[in-house]
Amino acid sequence: MRQQMVPGGGPEAAARSAPAAVPEAGPRVSIEALDFYYGETQALRGITLALPERQVTGMIGPSGCGKSTLLRVLNRMYDLYPNQRASGRVLMDGENIIGPDVDVNALRRRVGMVFQRPTPFPMSIYENIAFGVRLHERLSRAEMDERVEWSLTRAALWEEVKDRLRNAAGGLSGGQQQRLCIARSIAVRPEVILLDEPTSALDPISTLRIEELIDELKRDFTIAIVTHNMQQAARVADQVAFFYLGELVEAGPSAQIFTAPHERRTQEYITGRFG
Amino acid sequence: MSAPRPLLRGRRKAVNALALGLASLATLLGLVVLVWILGTTLIHGAAALGPHLITQMTPPPGAAGGLANAIFGSTMLVLVAVLVGAPIGVLAGTHLAEYGRARPFAELVRFVNDILLSAPSVVIGLFVYQIVVRPSGHFSGWAGAVALGFILLPVVVRTTDETMRLVPISLREATLALGAPKWRMITQVIYPAARVGILTGLLLGIARISGETAPLLFTALNNQYWSMDLGHPLANVPVVIFQFALSPYDSWHSLAWAGALLLTVFVLVVSVLARTLLRGRTN
Repeated sequence: MRQQMVPGGGPEAAARSAPAAVPEAGPRVSIEALDFYYGETQALRGITLALPERQVTGMIGPSGCGKSTLLRVLNRMYDLYPNQRASGRVLMDGENIIGPDVDVNALRRRVGMVFQRPTPFPMSIYENIAFGVRLHERLSRAEMDERVEWSLTRAALWEEVKDRLRNAAGGLSGGQQQRLCIARSIAVRPEVILLDEPTSALDPISTLRIEELIDELKRDFTIAIVTHNMQQAARVADQVAFFYLGELVEAGPSAQIFTAPHERRTQEYITGRFG
Repeated sequence: MSAPRPLLRGRRKAVNALALGLASLATLLGLVVLVWILGTTLIHGAAALGPHLITQMTPPPGAAGGLANAIFGSTMLVLVAVLVGAPIGVLAGTHLAEYGRARPFAELVRFVNDILLSAPSVVIGLFVYQIVVRPSGHFSGWAGAVALGFILLPVVVRTTDETMRLVPISLREATLALGAPKWRMITQVIYPAARVGILTGLLLGIARISGETAPLLFTALNNQYWSMDLGHPLANVPVVIFQFALSPYDSWHSLAWAGALLLTVFVLVVSVLARTLLRGRTN
């Protein structure tokens, strides 16, 4: 399914066919020298970071360090607010997605986002999924049914809701609502999924389910997750990036960041000495 | 706990009793007046109730009759006012909530709308008299509907604006994050989320305009006969009550009371409906 939606060839193919000597996948998104401003306040300083294809990048750091801000750059969420602006480059398939000529709605189909609190739309479970799909594709009734089932299955929610697809989504539990939001995001078949503290409003069991889900989803999607939970980052992320005061202090494979960080500030943060 | 000095404690208790007594008295006073009004309307109105109210026309003095033409006329006036006022009001409210937000223009519109909201209805009646009745040369149902529409409009604008702004920013971001254009977000996500509030505002607006009398005196006026023509003077319940109550005839008095009761019950039902809707939303 995924092969159909990623346009073949182009600079992206070149980016992915990285030298065979490097075992890691090539970057799906390359952030280069990114600065970000809320009005006069600079929130991100010279961020350079690559999100490897079909891997989970965990973003950690104390509150206000800019990790959520970075996530919101990747799908141009900041466009909604006139006094926010970004400069630098964020490359996807060789295109600078923070450039002025980008079709933001098309970009947001390719880069999905799940928020801290579940945000079910005021409509049925089925319609919650179908809404996003209809924005970008014309599907027959049967195709739409299939897509809804596919995305709910991928989000590990199908078995729980298959008999009440026409019920209002607001009646689901918090954990189910969050999985519905994930299903809604993957239903439009994005390439990248941004998760902004997706489990901070959930109980431990729902959290565990979402984490298992993330592990499962990275086979098809490139994932970036912001989390305040160090254990969560260690569990789900392949690569971890530590942010502090708007700067990227260090990024690397999670095992290395959590056992042998290069920077003293990273060491202090992950051992709980500040933050 | 060290006991306070008895003198101070006594004084505190006295102040408490006094404040509580005064507050209870004020509440009681308000309730008594309300029950009095409702009771009087009920006693006088109930005596005049009967099927003739909806089958017969408003009678000449001394003859038997009902309120059929007035009830129909009022329904038409309110219906047209809603059909005109509600869409404009919802669209204007949408503009303020979704496109204007904190811009100076939107703030100005909100301010002007609030003035319109509290404008005396007699002034609106005079205004419509000037712009519709005088140029057309005669009183008409259309003019009445326009006047009621002007009263309804700011209510709808205000409630639409406020309810839509109450829809959480997270829901907006979630919709846009799927790649939805703004208009689809508004029509398919924000409206359903704000539906109950908008509907409640509309119902309260209807309750308000259905009892308005002053603006109709200058516009729809009245009509003793059955008429479905909005191009001519149209009977309506409030003006019938006004005229019949001021008359010296007992039969007219009793019809006025019946009309007053009908109107009160209608407004009560609409208000209860609106409140029930609101309660359903908060649960």
